[in-house]
Amino acid sequence: MYGDNLEKKLNRKLNKHYGPTVRARIDEDAIRVSGTLSRWTDIVAACSMCVQKGTPMHVVNDIVLDGVTMPQMRMPSWSDEELEGRRPDVLVIGGGISGASIARELAKWKLDILLVEKEADLAVQASGRNDGEVHPGVDLNKGTLKQHYVLAGNKMFDKICRELDVPFHRCGQYVGFTRWWMYPAVLAYVWHRKYICKVTDTVILGRKELRRKEAELNPDICFAMYNPSAGCVCPYGLTIAYGENAVENGAQISLNTAVLGMETKEGRIECVQTNRGRIYPSIVINAAGTFAEDIAAMAGDRFYSIHPRKGTNSILDKKAGHIVKGIASVKTLKQNPAHTKGGGILHTVHGNLLVGPDAEETYEKENFATRQESIDAVFAKQKMTAGRLGKKDIITYFTGVRPATYEEDFIIEKGRRTKNLIHCAGIQSPGLTTAPAVALDIERMALEELRKIKAVEQKDTFDPNRRGGPVLKDMSKEERDRMIRKNPDYGIIVCRCEEISKGEILDALKSPLTVPTVDGIKKRLRPGMGRCQGGFCMPLVMDIIGEYMQLRPEEVTKAGDGSAITYGRTKGAVQRRRYDEETI
Amino acid sequence: MKRPYDVTVIGGGPAGLAAALKADEAGARVLLIEREARMGGVLKQCIHDGFGLIRYGERLTGPEYVERFTESLRQRNITCLVQTFVTAVDKRKEGFLLTVVNVNGVAAYRTKTIVLATGCRERTARQVAIHGTRPAGIFTAGTAQHLVNLSGQMPTKRCVILGSGDIGLIMARRLTLEGAEVAGVYEAKAEPSGLTRNIAQCLKDYDIPLHLSHTVTRAFGERRLDAVEVARVDGAMRPVPGTEKRISCDALILSVGLIPENEIAESLGVPMDQGTRGPVCNSDFMTGVPGVFSCGNALHVSDLVDYVSESGELAGAAAAGYQQEAVRKRDVPVRPDDSLQYIVPQKINVHDGIETVLYFRSRHTVRDGTFAIEADGKELFEKHYRNLRPPEMERIELDFSSFGLKEDARITARIRQKEGIR
Amino acid sequence: MKELTCIVCPNGCTLHVEESNGRYRVTGNLCKRGEEFAVAELTNPVRTVCSTVATAFPKVPVIPVRVSREIPMERIFDVMEKINKIVVSERVEKGTVLIEDVLGLGANIIVTSSILSEQE
Repeated sequence: MYGDNLEKKLNRKLNKHYGPTVRARIDEDAIRVSGTLSRWTDIVAACSMCVQKGTPMHVVNDIVLDGVTMPQMRMPSWSDEELEGRRPDVLVIGGGISGASIARELAKWKLDILLVEKEADLAVQASGRNDGEVHPGVDLNKGTLKQHYVLAGNKMFDKICRELDVPFHRCGQYVGFTRWWMYPAVLAYVWHRKYICKVTDTVILGRKELRRKEAELNPDICFAMYNPSAGCVCPYGLTIAYGENAVENGAQISLNTAVLGMETKEGRIECVQTNRGRIYPSIVINAAGTFAEDIAAMAGDRFYSIHPRKGTNSILDKKAGHIVKGIASVKTLKQNPAHTKGGGILHTVHGNLLVGPDAEETYEKENFATRQESIDAVFAKQKMTAGRLGKKDIITYFTGVRPATYEEDFIIEKGRRTKNLIHCAGIQSPGLTTAPAVALDIERMALEELRKIKAVEQKDTFDPNRRGGPVLKDMSKEERDRMIRKNPDYGIIVCRCEEISKGEILDALKSPLTVPTVDGIKKRLRPGMGRCQGGFCMPLVMDIIGEYMQLRPEEVTKAGDGSAITYGRTKGAVQRRRYDEETI
Repeated sequence: MKRPYDVTVIGGGPAGLAAALKADEAGARVLLIEREARMGGVLKQCIHDGFGLIRYGERLTGPEYVERFTESLRQRNITCLVQTFVTAVDKRKEGFLLTVVNVNGVAAYRTKTIVLATGCRERTARQVAIHGTRPAGIFTAGTAQHLVNLSGQMPTKRCVILGSGDIGLIMARRLTLEGAEVAGVYEAKAEPSGLTRNIAQCLKDYDIPLHLSHTVTRAFGERRLDAVEVARVDGAMRPVPGTEKRISCDALILSVGLIPENEIAESLGVPMDQGTRGPVCNSDFMTGVPGVFSCGNALHVSDLVDYVSESGELAGAAAAGYQQEAVRKRDVPVRPDDSLQYIVPQKINVHDGIETVLYFRSRHTVRDGTFAIEADGKELFEKHYRNLRPPEMERIELDFSSFGLKEDARITARIRQKEGIR
Repeated sequence: MKELTCIVCPNGCTLHVEESNGRYRVTGNLCKRGEEFAVAELTNPVRTVCSTVATAFPKVPVIPVRVSREIPMERIFDVMEKINKIVVSERVEKGTVLIEDVLGLGANIIVTSSILSEQE
């Protein structure tokens, strides 16, 4: 039997590398790898060697990491009964780009839609911690879900960003080569991508033309593969816009809501327990990012695993923005490890440069700590793309964690054992690009399932257009003057670096999805993202949030539960905290 | 449009207030623009004393110092705009056109000259490469000072302070007085960055330890900071492996340097000095763009507010007397050597018999040093100092016209040390 | 011999004080005030205290205050305790005395800003 032979073959391989304790077992729809290993990189390697591409079987990791307690998922420390007894037609778990876009597409129908997100805002994890590239898909092989959706998704971006009022630039992507003798191979590759993979915009640019488009790239680059369809978007801006448009069209988004468990009966999810009460949904959509595997397990449908892979990007001052106008990277002779993108330089919609990311396997799904080593490594590499790149222009940096499956492809399908579940999992790069197209397919799958239970009608009031708040600094003097005369709060500048007014902050607080935290405001309007990094405006933003939300200053947080900025009034009102002895 | 102002001062802190008052005194029609709701700049939150010792012979608090100026302001005919933000400055044939935004809308003002008194901002955590997580509880000292002294809020119960700049030292004392514990002040350099007397009265008085040649390398904590990692650094300021220590705290307060704010100057194409990070100026504190003057901490970060106001007065008076048509004689650059961090102004008027005020900072701590100015190898001036320290700015006055220098003179400045001592 | 940093002015002189038979000899000072400071440091060190007091006005939750003259160093926290108990409910101006002769130390607690009286 095929399964038996495969199992033997895999175990021989595993035995050779990791000894007899690490074993693979073929289940009906998955390859389950078990045992104990002491290094996480070994676990990733062991599982990766069991991957069977082109089959519906995924690798499930049951190998125990010796001596390590896996970190708990971070979640709100409190609970209430806000959602107790809710019976939505659709429960979307996860408020990243996937969950938010799915909720918005489903809002076209007369359905009760509830999206739950454990963080205090949308796009806090992978969707808020990436470079915002809208990929052309030139690096992907035909036959993968990624490739299928990236072509469809990329084409949708002009329309979706227009509808959602989100800035989007098709700035083009350049992959430079420094050796002429590579030209024939690249030419063949380009032909293949263009005609076989249907990335139809792929062309080769000679040195002169490249210089005309990107004057400051490394002069050693003698030709480049160019995709004008590549673009950039603000990734959390798009996610929030999707979420707001979903809410405007009747969906409910419940933030600070963590899924704690599920009750299943006869292959169906009956009840979903959260810190805000028990929910009884008709169908559940799993868009939980790095925690998608955990949700699948709760639902009794764990047929894949997520191995988190973190990457760090640096943000450079707008002053350095001239170095690269689009998206650029260079291919050197040294091949990158299989699954890294190797990073690049990207000119963001806000005019900054993003440099990175790198890639590092980790078992910690929520370790967003940055390290100097990864920034140094990325800069060393990207200096080959543009020599003028300098670390002195860095204003900040961030780490994101990609939710990769061992197959390195998406999982977009109905539950295999659990019937009222749809997985939208393993959404790593180019997940931002693919989201609009994936959301349409998930919408279709959800309707198929729901129609088994009830009739679903289109909502004629659905408005695909979202109106973002006015951006005063981009207006003409006359228009800005008119706006201020109507609302003087638009004339009070709170953030001097990004020129943001009190009125705009109040608009954000009055938006369909209010996130009354300092980071929530920062993500929507950018106060605190400029040169001073919030040094001047943070206390002022705190005051505005407090005043509008009727909160005391110590109740205003940076990013939700547990992230208070102050401890209450001075004048001896606050007791000193007791601390343990200093530890080394 | 109304008649243009003679002088527009941007920034109503101790430099801008002084500039506006002096320009008014000199008979100019003055417009003063402040972005916050009240005049005073950062001094509004500097409630400690020690301001105005040179100017008034008193140890005033920040608000008291400011109110000395605002009281005079009320008796003058100076147009003051508060909570008003300058969004654009455009050069016109005669002077400049300012676009401002405030609660009344967008307005434009014509002015013959501009005095930039926009102050400075603080360096941030990311700019000193602290890694790890980014929870709540990481503040610059100025932000912590705003929270404590203006908002009346406690930002910490137990904190670590990185950097020994004066605001950090002041905040160490201030937080201690309000009942917080300061676990320690860590300074990457081998010497403190703040004034010696602040080390004494803010740290020693309250038994707050100062760890020199140490830095904070990492931050820990998911939602709120719960610890930082500190390490000793070597001569090149690199952390020494094996010296790391984890310190529990709920806040990290940074006092790691101030940077002049010069966004408007840069938009006008004003040439900048790499040493001060402010505009290159002449004896009148006029920048490379005729009609644009600079003063206070926007020009160079001063250690004492008295000098901030003094440069404001000099710039204000010069702006009031500025005439576009006048044929200007060429200024002569003063070139500091490596012994100096900088010298301000960077260009000197060697023609007219005026006392030029010069500010400079030594690059190193020097005992028994001599500050000397030479022209074409000939010594013009020297002054002996018992102690020269990088945190402490020095000031001299000198009339260059008496030396009979030509416009092509090569003027240099340096600090000489006694033989064998460094 | 004791070494001190003078805090009277920004010069921050390093002072050396020698005591013999109840008399002090100070060196290292650039001015007379340094000598006075050094002697006071060894006999009765004094400091100013600057802080804030709470108000009843939500837009200005605290206003700055200081002591009108220096107080003994060891009484700083006692004075802070007194300062912390004050709640200003009137629109006081700069110089207003909030506590007269605090703890009998001969110093008043005075307001150092007119922020409240400027606002109506």
